[in-house]
Amino acid sequence: MSSSTLLFCVCAFFALAGAVGTVSARRPLRAAMALLAHIVALAGLYLTLHAQLLAAIQLLVYAGAIVVLFVFVIMLIGPASETSGSGRAGMVRMTSLVLMGMVTVTIAFAIVDTDPAAPRLPAGYGDVEGVGGALYTQGLVPFEIISITLLVAIIGAVAVARGKTAVEKQIEAKEKARAEVEARLGEGAAPAPAE
Amino acid sequence: MSTGAILLASALKILFIVLVVVGAFAPLLVWVDRRQSAMIQDRVGPHRAGFTLPKDVVKGFDALRLPLLGGSLFAGLLIAVSFAGLFVMGFAGFEDLGGATAKDLYRFALAMLVFGLLLRAGYAVHSNIVEAGGKITLFGVLHPAADAMKMIWKEDFVPARADKLLHALAPVITLIPALVSFAVIPFADVLYLDYWDQVLPVAAEGAAEAVALVGDAVPMQVASLNVGILFIFAVAGTGVIGAAIGGYASDNKFSLMGGMRAASQMVSYEVALGLTIVPCFMMYDSLRLEDMALWQAQNAWGIFLPPLTLAFLLYFTAATAETKRVPFDLPEGESELVGGYLTEYSGLKFGIFFTGEYVEMVAFSALAAVLFFGGWDVPWLYANGFDLPGTWAFTVPLTDWVVSDKIAVTHWVVIALQVGSTLFKIIAFLFLQMMIRWSLPRFRYDQIMSLCWKGLLPIALVNILLTGILILLFD
Repeated sequence: MSSSTLLFCVCAFFALAGAVGTVSARRPLRAAMALLAHIVALAGLYLTLHAQLLAAIQLLVYAGAIVVLFVFVIMLIGPASETSGSGRAGMVRMTSLVLMGMVTVTIAFAIVDTDPAAPRLPAGYGDVEGVGGALYTQGLVPFEIISITLLVAIIGAVAVARGKTAVEKQIEAKEKARAEVEARLGEGAAPAPAE
Repeated sequence: MSTGAILLASALKILFIVLVVVGAFAPLLVWVDRRQSAMIQDRVGPHRAGFTLPKDVVKGFDALRLPLLGGSLFAGLLIAVSFAGLFVMGFAGFEDLGGATAKDLYRFALAMLVFGLLLRAGYAVHSNIVEAGGKITLFGVLHPAADAMKMIWKEDFVPARADKLLHALAPVITLIPALVSFAVIPFADVLYLDYWDQVLPVAAEGAAEAVALVGDAVPMQVASLNVGILFIFAVAGTGVIGAAIGGYASDNKFSLMGGMRAASQMVSYEVALGLTIVPCFMMYDSLRLEDMALWQAQNAWGIFLPPLTLAFLLYFTAATAETKRVPFDLPEGESELVGGYLTEYSGLKFGIFFTGEYVEMVAFSALAAVLFFGGWDVPWLYANGFDLPGTWAFTVPLTDWVVSDKIAVTHWVVIALQVGSTLFKIIAFLFLQMMIRWSLPRFRYDQIMSLCWKGLLPIALVNILLTGILILLFD
């Protein structure tokens, strides 16, 4: 067994174990940790495919940001997140089994169709220079579109998450005071309370 | 190079890193940190652990003191005599004195100097032991060992409703990424096994091509990855999770608050940290740490290039925050949160958390050394030896020994000097961090966040732009 086959077997085992753990864990934080194991193992699988940059990005984005986000949300929700799922477990299970079957059949067809003579990898395949070159020459337009989409999403998130600014608060307070005064004037006869 | 040899070399390198970082740096840092705190707070501090020698041995040491002192004085006398002989030879013009040439006298004086200093040091050690009544404390350095023993045998308390698995997993998730990030840090230039006991052949000045070196080359880092520094950030990112789940799994409000603070602080500063060092990649034109060190050895240290000076200041701030050190130690701020996410930890789990924090500190110091301070580069040391500034040479009087600005150094000594240089730079950064610890008061939480998102991040982005403009202008 060559070393890359060994790496594949180890990583595949942990990836499967992590995936099973993610869906079967009862406590959400344990599920998140199983997902972390799965993601790290997946990065190892990318290494067996000569995709070094992808492996690093996988760890950086998924383990360093996405899982942290999950953990953060679970911590904020607290014990409320530990309630059991919805009552329609049977339905969910059926749907997921059907979907899994479809994915398996697709992958099986893809494997059967593959030419067993492995294509030779071009020089620099999967490393920083290779991916960067491809990204900025062949895929420049999609890349820029994605950047702008992300920028819009960031601005949207900031706009949604941002509270009211000091000026807005002032204006609001003034309007409220004016409305109060008008309401009082409308009542007419009511005397102003002694300050 | 055969697979077995590569495996053996890798195992040796990993052993070196673990021994130096976990075995020496981490415990010594714990000790320095605690000792310094004790000094500032006017306490005795951790320097009392030690073992006592039996009375008879102490008596023996006491008896040995006089001969040791006498011996060192005698060696000094011999040095004086040999130099007197050299003077006589120089003024009277003798070739040799009773068969001893000038070279012999120099060698004898040097040997006596080393011998005498050793005896004098032995006298000092013996005196210290006798004066302490036979108690050996090694300036208190034995205290970390005593602490470690205490932690191993201390009760490992887990709160009743805590998630035991995650409670145990959290310290490990903190320690492992910090250790793994050392894999890509180069400790020296490439070692050519076939030349290890020779001076490395180097192309003469002005030669068109470099000398082709044959034989096995061992890079002085565990893994030479194409993604280089991205690897460090990729694994360091998972370290956040350790503190977060440690806080959650403890079933304690203080721990939870500490864990939340740690997670949000570290995630924020990771972004800033990643952006502050982008100018380095642009300048050195590589992501590989060994290429960065080589570029700096051939051109100039990063710290002397203006955009990178700014980048270093930003990096150092962000790295201090990332390792949760004072003044950024909000996650374990004892005045508000008891001990933050560490509150419910005791025994060896606490020890692992603590070690992880210090290992992370060493890792970021090593990264700073490689990114901004030339990594393994020793000033004026090249692959084949020193080339000191200027052109000069002088002959040692009465001999044909010539000392000049060019000193040939054997290959393995060059490598050892470079490893020493890396370690020295790491220690310098650790010293700086220790000095900061009691110099600055702790930030407020909103100050930390606005420093990151409104201070470091915009400056880092502007710095990237500036570096790009400078490279376009001067390249």
